[in-house]
Amino acid sequence: MIEIRDLRRVFGGVVALDGVTLSLGEGERRAVIGPNGAGKTTLINALAGETTPTGGTIRLGGQDITRLRPWQRARLGLAHVFQRTELFAPLSARDNVALAVAARRGPYRLFRAVPRAEYAEAAAVLERVGLAGREGVAARALSHGERRQLELAVALAQRPHVLLLDEPTAGMSPLETARITELIAGLDRALTILIVEHDMDVVFRLADRVTVLHEGRVIADGTAADVRGDVRVHDVYLGKAVTVA
Amino acid sequence: MLVALGAAALVTFPYWSAPWASRFATTLLRDALILAIFALSLDLLVGRAGMPSLGHAAFFGGGAYAAGIAGQQLATDQLPVTLGAAALVGAVLALVIGVLVVRSEGIFFLMLTLALAQIVFAIAFQWTAVTGGSNGLSGIGRPMLASIDFSSPDLMYVLVAVTFVLAALVVWGLARSPYGRALIGVRENERRMRALGYDTARLRLSAFVIAGTIAGIAGALSAYSTRFVSAQDAGLGNSVRAFVTVLVGGAGTLGGPIVGSAVVSLIERVVPSILPTDLRISEALLGLVFIGFVLFARQGMAGLGRSAWLRVSRR
Repeated sequence: MIEIRDLRRVFGGVVALDGVTLSLGEGERRAVIGPNGAGKTTLINALAGETTPTGGTIRLGGQDITRLRPWQRARLGLAHVFQRTELFAPLSARDNVALAVAARRGPYRLFRAVPRAEYAEAAAVLERVGLAGREGVAARALSHGERRQLELAVALAQRPHVLLLDEPTAGMSPLETARITELIAGLDRALTILIVEHDMDVVFRLADRVTVLHEGRVIADGTAADVRGDVRVHDVYLGKAVTVA
Repeated sequence: MLVALGAAALVTFPYWSAPWASRFATTLLRDALILAIFALSLDLLVGRAGMPSLGHAAFFGGGAYAAGIAGQQLATDQLPVTLGAAALVGAVLALVIGVLVVRSEGIFFLMLTLALAQIVFAIAFQWTAVTGGSNGLSGIGRPMLASIDFSSPDLMYVLVAVTFVLAALVVWGLARSPYGRALIGVRENERRMRALGYDTARLRLSAFVIAGTIAGIAGALSAYSTRFVSAQDAGLGNSVRAFVTVLVGGAGTLGGPIVGSAVVSLIERVVPSILPTDLRISEALLGLVFIGFVLFARQGMAGLGRSAWLRVSRR
């Protein structure tokens, strides 16, 4: 589904991605972990088109998308949950999701009211992420946890083939984290998911495979069990963050 | 229903007001409605799509010249020809300027629209052979639609009022459509819109062309009404006037630009007529009103009205 080959990104003198090669099969759920500054968010942004790579190629379903704009990638079925929430602050939760629903049909529908079906679909997605009853609340009036849920709802409403999740549980309470983790775990198995996450419980609950980034390079790549046992991974990351049984 | 009655009353104003209102009232209302059409078109950019353009007069002026020049060069006074020329020139100018500005934002967008509109103004001011240069373009004929002659002041008013009603309907229809909501999405978070799959540069450009077309039509109505086009119609002063109208009335609302045009027209036209002639303070007064709204009522008259209504209805 996704094939990343020798991806490089240099910011001034800083090498954020130093030749990353990575491939995800259709329906695969892959976590990317690594210490701060490892290049995780740069990788997600390069996939979404928010950052132009300095070198290398990205393929989506066989098509080279390295130079495509973010909106073109979204049309190809890529959805992006940003690390820092990007919503329409004064609009209601329902309108936030409805804009994602409407994106599939395009904006050039003039001189008629917004179809009710789009609002109904938006309400259904909001219910799925646990925001039932909050449809009319402006995005900026929601709690931090609710905004992350809404951000996920917006991405799901795009009906993507590939979901890029950049720390979806950041700043959430343990209860909210558990709920959103189960929600993601329960998504359609045909959906390909790439998730960047610091919470190892979330990573090991969701991911089929785990890729460890360190200083812009892949230092380990394997099943969750492989990565737990990898000594280098413990040195750079896991050993400091959690105790692994 | 109420809106339809109001529209009918507005269009027929010169006929039922004749016993008590002067000719001046019809002229005043006519000019206020032209300003309202102009401001409604600018609000599509400023209020809906979040593009604070300071160059909107380029399209108004372009439309005014197009109507006048088309009428003279083609020796016709048929409304579809001259108004069509105005709409076309407004649209084409907006397309050309739009392509150059839609990828910039904030202060850069403001300055770019201002600079590009000043180029249009400079062309109007210097291309004397076509535009009349600093003398302006005079002797513009009132239009005809088939055999209807709009040369009487009352019928000229009716033409303006009907066009105003149609323009307000168009803007209202756009605002409630998926298109209008997408423009608000661009205003609130362009990055998110792109991530959703919207080509936001094209969306902004389309709004620019629609707004330019309507502004061009407003310019043509101004040219018919005053039978004159001045380079100032395309100048910065006229752009600022529309901008002030939108902000005083309330950006992003249908009623705002309409109410704003009433306020601005009253200050420009009625205040000088009740004060001594050597006291020319209407521009200073307009400036003060504008500063007042920017400091104390960012949502304009529409916002003041809404909060007053909420206070009353809560009791």
